[in-house]
This record gives sequence, C-alpha cells and structure tokens, in this order.
Amino acid sequence: MKFGPKSTVMAILTAAALALTACGGGGTSTNGGAATTTLTIGLLQDLVSFEPADAHIGHTMPYYQAVYDTLILRAPDGELKPMIAESWEYNAENTVLTLKLRTDVTFNDGAKLDATAVKANLDHFKKAKGRDAYQVASLESVAVVDPATVAVTLSEPDPAFTYYLSLAAGLMGSPAALGTTGIKTVPAGSGPYELDTTNTVKGSQYVFTKRANYWNKDLQKFDKVTMKFLQDVTARTNAIVSGQVDATLLDPKTSKQAVAAGLTLTTSQVDWQGLLLMDRDGKVTPELANPKVRQAMNYAFDRKTILEQQYLGEGTPTNQVFGPESGAYVDELDGSYPYDPAKAKALLAEAGYPNGFELKIPTMTGFEAITATVQQQLGDIGIKVQLETIPAANYVPDLAAAKYSAAVFNLYQAEPWVAINQMISTSALYNPFKSTTPELATMIDAVQNGGEQSAEKAKDVNKYVTDNAWFVPFFRLNQMYLTNKKITVEPQLQQAIPSIYNYAPAK
Amino acid sequence: MVTFILRKLAAGVVVLAAISFLTYFLLYFSSANIARNILGEFASQEQVAAKEIELGLDQALLPRFFAWAGHALTGDLGTSWFTSEPVARALMTRLPVTLTVVIVSIIFIAIIATALGMAAAVKRGWIDKAVQSAAVIGDAIPSFVMAIILVTVFAIQLKLFPATSSISPDSGSAAWIASLALPVLAIVINGVTSAAQQIRSAVIKQLEKDYVRTLRSRGISEREILFKHVLRSAAPAGLTVLSLQFIGMLGGVVIIEQIFALPGMGALAVQSTTMGDIPLVMGVVLYTVVIVIIVNLLVDLINGWLNPKVRVS
Repeated sequence: MKFGPKSTVMAILTAAALALTACGGGGTSTNGGAATTTLTIGLLQDLVSFEPADAHIGHTMPYYQAVYDTLILRAPDGELKPMIAESWEYNAENTVLTLKLRTDVTFNDGAKLDATAVKANLDHFKKAKGRDAYQVASLESVAVVDPATVAVTLSEPDPAFTYYLSLAAGLMGSPAALGTTGIKTVPAGSGPYELDTTNTVKGSQYVFTKRANYWNKDLQKFDKVTMKFLQDVTARTNAIVSGQVDATLLDPKTSKQAVAAGLTLTTSQVDWQGLLLMDRDGKVTPELANPKVRQAMNYAFDRKTILEQQYLGEGTPTNQVFGPESGAYVDELDGSYPYDPAKAKALLAEAGYPNGFELKIPTMTGFEAITATVQQQLGDIGIKVQLETIPAANYVPDLAAAKYSAAVFNLYQAEPWVAINQMISTSALYNPFKSTTPELATMIDAVQNGGEQSAEKAKDVNKYVTDNAWFVPFFRLNQMYLTNKKITVEPQLQQAIPSIYNYAPAK
Repeated sequence: MVTFILRKLAAGVVVLAAISFLTYFLLYFSSANIARNILGEFASQEQVAAKEIELGLDQALLPRFFAWAGHALTGDLGTSWFTSEPVARALMTRLPVTLTVVIVSIIFIAIIATALGMAAAVKRGWIDKAVQSAAVIGDAIPSFVMAIILVTVFAIQLKLFPATSSISPDSGSAAWIASLALPVLAIVINGVTSAAQQIRSAVIKQLEKDYVRTLRSRGISEREILFKHVLRSAAPAGLTVLSLQFIGMLGGVVIIEQIFALPGMGALAVQSTTMGDIPLVMGVVLYTVVIVIIVNLLVDLINGWLNPKVRVS
C-alpha cells in the first residue's frame, strides 16, 4: 500500500476527530436574567484539613467559613458584629471577656451550640497548638456561667482577642468531632453550608450546599458554593475569563487581561512591602545600629518608580507599616522619607560611613525583581548588597532564626496589636534580634492596656518606629480581586480575599 | 522467558531501593525547617522542637530511612505531615488523573507518529519535508506554551472545552474527556513530531536493507513487506522512543497539570517537595519508579515478542 497525500491527511483528520469527539461537555452555562444561585470561587491555597484547630488566617479561611460559624462576625469594614456571641463585654481590667450566646444554633450532627460547646472549642484550640494557636496565647481559662454565657479569662489584656474570635480561634466545631480524624475531611459545624462529600475532590474542588434551617438566612445567599483550588495564576486567569469561576484573585498583569475580557476589578490593600531592618542593635551588621544609617536607607528608594515598573503602579508608596484603616495610621508620616539619594549619602557620612558598608540579604523565587532593585538602589548610596538565594520554604524560618540583618518581605497590615506582635514587640517573629528600647516598651504597654483607646495609643508606636527607621516600607500593594457579572462582592478589610459572607448574587 | 522477567524484576527492586535511599538522602539535608513550616510562623521554639521529635526529625539519616523503609515494606507509606492524609490514599486519588493523561497521550502519539513516520519514509517528497520541519517546530514549542495557546483558542474564545479541570466523581465520562482533551492535545502536539521523526529514520533504515530487496525480488507485495517485515523490524526503535517519552511525560506533565489545575501527581509532587512533606515525596517517588520499571519491562517484553533476536541476547 502506498500512502498518498490524501490518505495521510485523512489519517490525521481521523485522529484529530477522535480527540475531539464527545467534547461537547465543556463550556459554561449562562443563566438568562434570573439571579444566580451558585457561587464558584478560585482559591490560591488548598485546604489542609477541616479541623478548626488547623485553620489559618488568609487564603484558606473561606473553606472554614462555609461550614463553621465564628463567635464574632467581622464586617467588611472591620467592625466586629454579633454572630454566635450576641454581645460581649470586658471587665475593667480587660482580662475577663464575658460572651452572651445565641440559644438557637445547632451543629449539623444535631448537637447544640451552647456555652459548654464554646468552652470545648476554645480549650481544644489552645491544646491542639495549630498554626494559629498564637491567637489564644493569652487565653487562660474558659468558664461556663450558664448555658448561654461564657467567661473567658486572659492572662494579660489582649486588644486583639475579640478580633481573633472572628477568625480561626472563633470557629465553632461540634465538640464530639473535635480532634478526631473524621473532622479533618468531613467538617462538623454550624455554618451556613455543608460539605457535599460526593462532589468534593481533595486538591481540586470543594462543593458546599446550603444547610437547611440555618439560623441566619442573611449569611446564606447561595444554594451551592464551590471552591476550586487553582494555584497557578494562569489557571486562575483562564478559569475566570472562561466563566468557570465567578471570583478569584489575580495579579496586576493578569488582571489587565481579565478587565479587558469584561470582568469587574475590586482592589484593596492588605500587604505592605519593604525592607525589615532587623539587626537594630548591630549584633551582626554594626552599621545598622545607627538610626542615621537606617534613615539613609529610607531616603534611598524611588518608591513611585519601582511601583510603576514592578507592579504596574498598583499600590501606594508609604513610609509607615500601619495601614490607613488600622486606627494607628498617621497621615503626615508618609512624607517622612522622600526619594533623596544625596541626603541619604550625607546621612551615611554623618554616621561615619562615607564609603558605605556591606549588607547581606536573602532572596527567593518571586522576590528576584524586588531584591535586585534593593541591591541597585542601596548600591547608589554606597551600600553594597550581597544577595543570597534560599529556598522559599526556608525564608521565614531563616528570618526568625536571625540569620539575616535585613530582608525584603510582604507583611499584612493588621490590627495595631496584631501588627505590633508580628514585627515590633520583643516576642514578634519578625523582630528576631528582639530589639527594643525602654521608651518603646512603655508605648507598647500603653497599647496593650489601652482598651478602647488601644489603636489611638498605637499611633505613638507607629511614629517611633517610623522616626527611628525600624523598617524601609516601600508601598502598600493592591490586591486585584476579579468577579464576573453574575455576582457582587464587597472587599474585606485587611484580607486579600473577601469573607464568604461578602458575596451576593447580582440583581 | 520466566527467568528473563524475574531477572528484570529483581533489577527493578534494586533500582527501587537505590532511588528510595538516594531521595531520602537528599531530603535529609533539606529537612531543617519542616517542623517550623508545619506549625507556622507563630509557634514557639519549644513547640518546634517537640514536633521535630514527634516526626523523628531529630534522628540520624540511617535510622530514619530504615524506619520509613520498614513501614513501606509492610505497605504502610505513612501519612502526610502537613495534611494528615494517608499517603497511599493521596496517591490513589492523584495517580489515575496523571496516568490517564499520560497513557491517552502516548496512545495518540504512537498511532499518529507511526502513521506520519511511515508515510514520510515511504513517500518521501513533500510529506517527508513536512514531517521533518514539524519535528523542529514541535520540539521548539514547549508543551506549556502549546497548552496556553490551546486554552486561549478552544476554551476562552470558542468555549468548546473547560479552561481548567472540572473533574469530579459525579461528572461522568463526558466531563472527563472534556477536561482531558486540551492537556492531552498539548502533550500530543509536542511529542508526536519527534516520535514521527524517529520512526521515519528507523523505517528508512530498514527499507535500505538487503532483505527488503530480496523480498521485493520474490514478488512479495509492497504492502506485505511494509507491514509484515519493515514495521516489525523498525518497531523496537519506535518503542524505545515512546517509552522514553512516556517516562519523560511523568515528570513533564507537572506544568501541564498546573496550567489546567488537574489534581494529578505532578501538583502533589511539587507541593510536597517544596514544603518538605517527606512521607508524601517518598510515596510519589516510589510510585513513579514502580511505573517506570513496569513500562521498561513491558517494552522489553514487546520487543522480545516482535524480534526473537532480542530475546536470545
């Protein structure tokens, strides 16, 4: 037999047709007019387990919010509102928090969500030492006052405790299931949705269906919620542009593509990016002990241009590490360190280092561009930066182990007390050299014991760390959240991805 | 024949043991921060130390390896350090996805490459030139670039296929096929041309041999010569290429799985390796090596069946 051109072409066509047959299943269904009853979200991180003690603030919270209620609800603007707790109140010393509970809430296994269940959850969360166990670090004991009242005793005032009760520490699981292996894959909660185990594929998609007789219909706006784990930004872009998901987080570049395809962009600011100047006592890099050196480094960066070039301008240059909505933000601090290399050089000379010095900073996948910029900008004022590439998994542990005097990082702009414990107090992970001064310690004390005034008092801490140049903040980065026309979403303060309560069908 | 298989299997066991140890050895040196990464940034040093003892990370390399190997020999691959999911179960949910993609791709590549390669070798002329230039282009365009082009055209513009995986147990075979069509197509386009090229050279080589001339002189039809003799003699070369492609695909499918968000072995391997989830990484390596050994054994057997000379040597 001879292969003529015709038969060859036919063979190719047949093969291609084979590959293409039965492919009608794809595509998306559009619903004409009527409001949608389903919501599909594309998430960046996979769920580790449904055990509440394994919950972690950030990209995995939606999985938990679907199936668990929290004691307190955090509104999109950050205000704490009643949820399972109808009201709460501190004693005069801010050490005992009394919570009054709803009495009409049950778990999906039939158990009642009462004071005993709340105690079981908080005790378990503390004992299990999960990723967010720091949230209950100050928790000393929980007492059941009556079936609808619990009294939580703290070892010391914790201005962020009620905030934590709206996050991982506040997730309420059925006491009988807590700590079992079963709850890791099948949640047992009182939340607005239940896991549809037959349609859920671990590592790919999680399907939730509306729970019958849920106590708060306002928080249950869809019949079905699907969360797809889409790690890759290209996959997320393709998924939202093709209509497979209704909402997802992209980056400045891909969001341009999505907006061009007719999707709605909502931006919010969560992280600040910049240099942490951690060795403020000069233990490893003696030069960093001098505030003038640290200030000089702040004058060395042309923040606006860097933002334009690396993030397409999606963000706001800043000189402070507290966010505008945190309550500790001080407007005029943002004029502290304009781009002024001449002044930076003068300050270095004043500090006794006219020829600069050497500084080693780490870099990792994803940080190459920004660390190269740091190297170049600090090089311009005479500081020779040596970059050391380390695996991403080692980055945080190495910072925490005080292996570097300074490092580039993105930190989220949290509530003042959370932020202080994240990077400023002596127990903060991102203060590995444990730098402090008596003056600053007094200010931190004032925040801790400030009660209602806590955020206001944190302004002093903000001024102190900005004036003394503890950090070189570059900018607050925009989070690019995309949604299609079927749904609406309200961004959640200090969260890159909104809480699930913030989504609603488009009218 | 039986001794041949037994010998191959024995060699496979040795390879398996060696690779397991080597992997464990390499992971041992990057296991410094695992406990910290499991517990999160806010855990205290004491908690981290306690976790390290719990996971056995405080022990030396050999005791750790033999403890793992001992369990693995009894079929217990342990549980993931990060998700507490049993390793065997995690692999069993992922493996079918990856194997489906790879096997379906390799079948398409085999059929299309053989047809193209033979056509090019027999016909020469324009089709030969086309196959040769396509081979260069196919090699030059990585499968992930092809994947992105395919998604843009077929999923986003034409809306014929889902852009990312929509596989779930209830979705049925239509959804499976729809989800796998683009990933498979991307791999096939990338792999088929180089395989066709190899088959083409193998067939040409056979066609130039004396026995072909002898057969022709005896008046045996071209068709019979081609399918009964030439193809059979050229097959080992083609099989080798395909088996190498198959093994390469097991690793290369990682990026394809990412782009299409397919819940396969690739994503699992990348995630577990970057996090330092040693039991899971070991499970992935073990399964992959077993697959490679089986594929090699099958190729050897098919070669033997096609060509008795191979069996003797």
